[in-house]
Amino acid sequence: MSPYRLNLMICAGTGCVSNKSFQVKEALDKEIKKHNLEKEVLTVMTGCNGFCAAGPIMIVQPDGIFYQLLKEEDIPHLVEEHLLKGRPVKKLMYTPPAEPEPIPKMADISFFKKQILIALRNKGIIDPEKIDDYIAREGYVPLSKVLTEMKPEDVISEIKKSGLRGRGGGGFPTGLKWEFARRSEGDKKFVICNADEGDPGAFMDRSIVEADPNSILEGMTIGAYAMGADKGYVYVRSEYPLAVERMKKAIQQSREYGLLGKDILGSGFDFDIEVIQGAGLFVCGEETALIASIEGKIGEPKPRPPYPVEKGLWGKPTNINNVETWANVPAIINWGADWFSKIGTKTSKGTKVFSVAGKIKDAGLIEVPMGTTLGEIIFDIAGGIHSDRKFKAVLIGGPSGGALPVDCLNLPVDYESLTGAGAMMGSGGMVVTDENNCMVEMARFFLNFTRDESCGKCTPCREGIPRMLEILTRIKQGNANMEDLTLLEDLANSTKDTALCGLGNTAPNPVLTTLRYFRDEYEAHIKYKRCPSAECRELVSSPCHYACPIDTDAASYVALIAHGKFKDALDVNRLANPIPSVCGRVCHHPCEVKCRAGEIGEPIAIRDLKRFVADWGREKGYTPSLPSGPKKDGKVAIVGSGPAGLMAGWKLAQMGYGVTIFEAESVVGGMLSWGIPDYRLPKDILKSEIDDIRAAGVEIKINTSVGKDITLDEIFNQGYKAIFVATGAPHNLKLRIPGEDVEGVIDPIEFLKNYNLNKEAKIGKKVAVVGGGNTAIDAARTAWRLGSDVTIFYRRTRPEMPANVEDIEAAFEEGIKIEFLTLPVEVLSENGKIKGVKCTRMALSGFDSSGRRRPIPVEGTEYEVEIDTLIPAIGQQPNLSFMKGNSKLKTTSWNTLEVDPETMATNVPGIFAGGDVVHGPATVLQAMEAGNIAADSINRYIRGEPFEKEYKPLESVMKVPPVELTEEEITKEMDRSEMPSLSIKERNGNFKEVELGITKEQAMKEARRCLRCDLESKGVKQ
Amino acid sequence: MAKLTLKDLQKKREEVKKAITLREGGPYKAKVTVHMGTCGIAAGARKVIDAVLKEVEKSDRQDILVTTTGCAGLCSREPMATVELVGKPPVKYIDLTAEKMAKIFKDHVLGGKTVTDYALAYGSEKTS
Repeated sequence: MSPYRLNLMICAGTGCVSNKSFQVKEALDKEIKKHNLEKEVLTVMTGCNGFCAAGPIMIVQPDGIFYQLLKEEDIPHLVEEHLLKGRPVKKLMYTPPAEPEPIPKMADISFFKKQILIALRNKGIIDPEKIDDYIAREGYVPLSKVLTEMKPEDVISEIKKSGLRGRGGGGFPTGLKWEFARRSEGDKKFVICNADEGDPGAFMDRSIVEADPNSILEGMTIGAYAMGADKGYVYVRSEYPLAVERMKKAIQQSREYGLLGKDILGSGFDFDIEVIQGAGLFVCGEETALIASIEGKIGEPKPRPPYPVEKGLWGKPTNINNVETWANVPAIINWGADWFSKIGTKTSKGTKVFSVAGKIKDAGLIEVPMGTTLGEIIFDIAGGIHSDRKFKAVLIGGPSGGALPVDCLNLPVDYESLTGAGAMMGSGGMVVTDENNCMVEMARFFLNFTRDESCGKCTPCREGIPRMLEILTRIKQGNANMEDLTLLEDLANSTKDTALCGLGNTAPNPVLTTLRYFRDEYEAHIKYKRCPSAECRELVSSPCHYACPIDTDAASYVALIAHGKFKDALDVNRLANPIPSVCGRVCHHPCEVKCRAGEIGEPIAIRDLKRFVADWGREKGYTPSLPSGPKKDGKVAIVGSGPAGLMAGWKLAQMGYGVTIFEAESVVGGMLSWGIPDYRLPKDILKSEIDDIRAAGVEIKINTSVGKDITLDEIFNQGYKAIFVATGAPHNLKLRIPGEDVEGVIDPIEFLKNYNLNKEAKIGKKVAVVGGGNTAIDAARTAWRLGSDVTIFYRRTRPEMPANVEDIEAAFEEGIKIEFLTLPVEVLSENGKIKGVKCTRMALSGFDSSGRRRPIPVEGTEYEVEIDTLIPAIGQQPNLSFMKGNSKLKTTSWNTLEVDPETMATNVPGIFAGGDVVHGPATVLQAMEAGNIAADSINRYIRGEPFEKEYKPLESVMKVPPVELTEEEITKEMDRSEMPSLSIKERNGNFKEVELGITKEQAMKEARRCLRCDLESKGVKQ
Repeated sequence: MAKLTLKDLQKKREEVKKAITLREGGPYKAKVTVHMGTCGIAAGARKVIDAVLKEVEKSDRQDILVTTTGCAGLCSREPMATVELVGKPPVKYIDLTAEKMAKIFKDHVLGGKTVTDYALAYGSEKTS
């Protein structure tokens, strides 16, 4: 046999095949022939590689070079470069997100690193259609051993000793089941392989059959010998044509080799296997229904006992195991029970194959040791959440399993821990959801599936599931009440307890787990008519509108921009927001996180569009129309002129109240004016919008410090009916490390304030900033503009940084170094002056309650850095000095004010509070949201109306007809418009605005990319 | 295909194993890398790699890895090849022909002795 120099292992799993891996192979063979390499290079079609998201996949062996997303047109170049000239082609390799360089070798890709392969031991190495390949990989060594050296009892005790448990869901000990089957009296016995995989998002069993059918056949033959069976069936659904074909081929080849049939390997043992194709009923995965189906009867379950091991197929003792269980058997016999039982946890041995799908970066098929945590699977192996959104839940076990939340990321995968958490191992389907997935909808989706798949034989399942579904639908529509939740829970529990088979017993699990872990989402739908994930169309006008804390109808203004109606677009903005130019620059744009266009490509640049119309309006001198409502009795005082105060003042003035804002500083705007530097928000823009607010009837008294110049009581005495406290959180928190009270350690708030107000700043040449929030980035970029060499120390990694993504990127561009996983532990000084800082490196450990990894110091990694300025920017607290003379206000342990979150009312009648003084340092938009709510509550308070509101589903402001798109816009994925900005050189040494604003042409083009979800919503105004 | 006995199965395994070892990525005792940049190919690297493959087949060894790489930088001395035995520094050979390669294979790859007449130097550039 001539030796091949290279083997090209091309994935022929269903995923890659549907992405044309056979065409890729054809192209390869053609090119290989063209270059006369047929004798040196062999192409092999293998089973599923597992990294399905990157298919078609090819591994070049022996070097282990990993190629992904191959297309026919790539092949000539690939063959010439790599196969002929030995230069692996970089652009066809896998590049991890946020990494600059591709990873050439499969073994180095994190997706593969943490995996241990037992059931999938031959994946990608053998051609599943060639029994010789299987034999070459120790195939049928175990069977030879069993037939010649072991008695059936020995086999059973070996399997028992290994601790193997059923991989199909329940986790019953396999050896014990075999023992029951062996002991069962019967003239004929059967073994069955259950390959009736049918839950949404699961494809483990299919992939095993496709990758290595012989391992299943060998496992079944060993099992048949142990139990005394002479006939086996593989029950596989006909929707898996490739699996059926490969299994049939494998059986054919095994028969030819005498590995199935009479007198196997001359041992006198007879055993044969047949493939039975199921029609695709989910319930036929239940063993009694599966048996009925093989017998040619209707696929309905029967009560157990008797169990199939006593009375199964045609009344004979029958052992059913799932695909993965059978595939493990030869490995256990070959390498021994001791080897196997060393892998895994105390109660769950070996590995488990999972198919991981949903909102993750790298979907695919994996095999990990039992005990691997859910977080490791989702973040280390599957690459984390798509678009770096927030993880919400992982559905494990499909429609029979449950949704596990952030708190479960540290949960090790084993039978007991998953059942304890309310889910189940199931066969191994894992669907990951993010913050944009509604848990009520998730429960409804799975229940809808089980309703369709319920056979209808027993009442609890037949009637219980549809009733639950009705309630869930009502909740989704906002038409349910809180009693419905109790009813739903009761129904779920009784269906679980009383249904005839596993389908009905487990169908309520998605409902029960979402009720257990996400009850607040159910309550939001019922009480507030809100779907926090913006998914339920009955409640959501459009996801972007919905995501805005101050209800700006982005969908409508984006649509108007697409039509070129800029004035109308600006009007829509100003309905909700008095400072659109400001927000168009500094908003953290939650609308873009929820944007549906972001599910498939890049979200619409909504913030940039807002800025565009706001700037357009200012340039055109288009001032907002003033409110025309009648004047109301009653004056309202507001403490603080930051975004919360401005918003509340503007709203109250519109309602007709006289409003006075007391501002302690000499400038208006709070953090907007002295916290955010000019290069992000020029002062004249802020001033022009504050002028608009003044014009709306808001009086602003500067240099008036409440608590010093005037007390809260005095304000009431002056005839104000209500006070809104919005004093922010300007107190910087210390690092609490030794030596920090020396010269050269400066407060970022003071630093930014001094510079922004007085253009004064004392800053050294070598500056270190600590923290990852907006204040840290602002301080760093300001110091850089003043000519310092700046490094940021952040204890976590980039995806966890809370600052705006755009600003982090800009900091990088400007050459600011960010040392991730680094924590200062001591300030070093000389003569009372800082000379450096001692840092330690951190490592990420388990997940905390926010779903982020907890950083812990790595021992022995401490090092010193010379610096002359340290700016700790790790957090802020309110300054409660305004309370002087009125200490009745309740505060929290965080030194913030306590309010009712629905009304912003404090414990003192007439005093309301919101913004950073209540929730600690947060975003401009969150402060404005609080101002909005407070204005509404103050109005009710003054008018003596009850606070309780009637919540209604959010409706869009107007209906904008769709624009007519060009053929190209419809068929091609259009790129997101890019914000023009100053070059790095132009930014150095000055505070000119960096982002220049998109052009009219860009804006209209960008707005035309909008998918117009609002037109499909049930909440849209007709 | 006749039905297999235990012995047949064992024999079969020995026979088919060779085809698989390449895919399992090792372990290897020796690695021969033929430099096949444009310069190498123009100077006749094709014949050199053919010679290596022929020798590997003749030797019936499964633990020799033959691979190609790009230009080694010394274009005037192509065709070139690098021979690396496990645990020994790699040796670069220059101005190769099929005959020279065959000798290198016998003496160095199989015999463990560097063919100093054809060798350029010990060692290899760092590729990190």
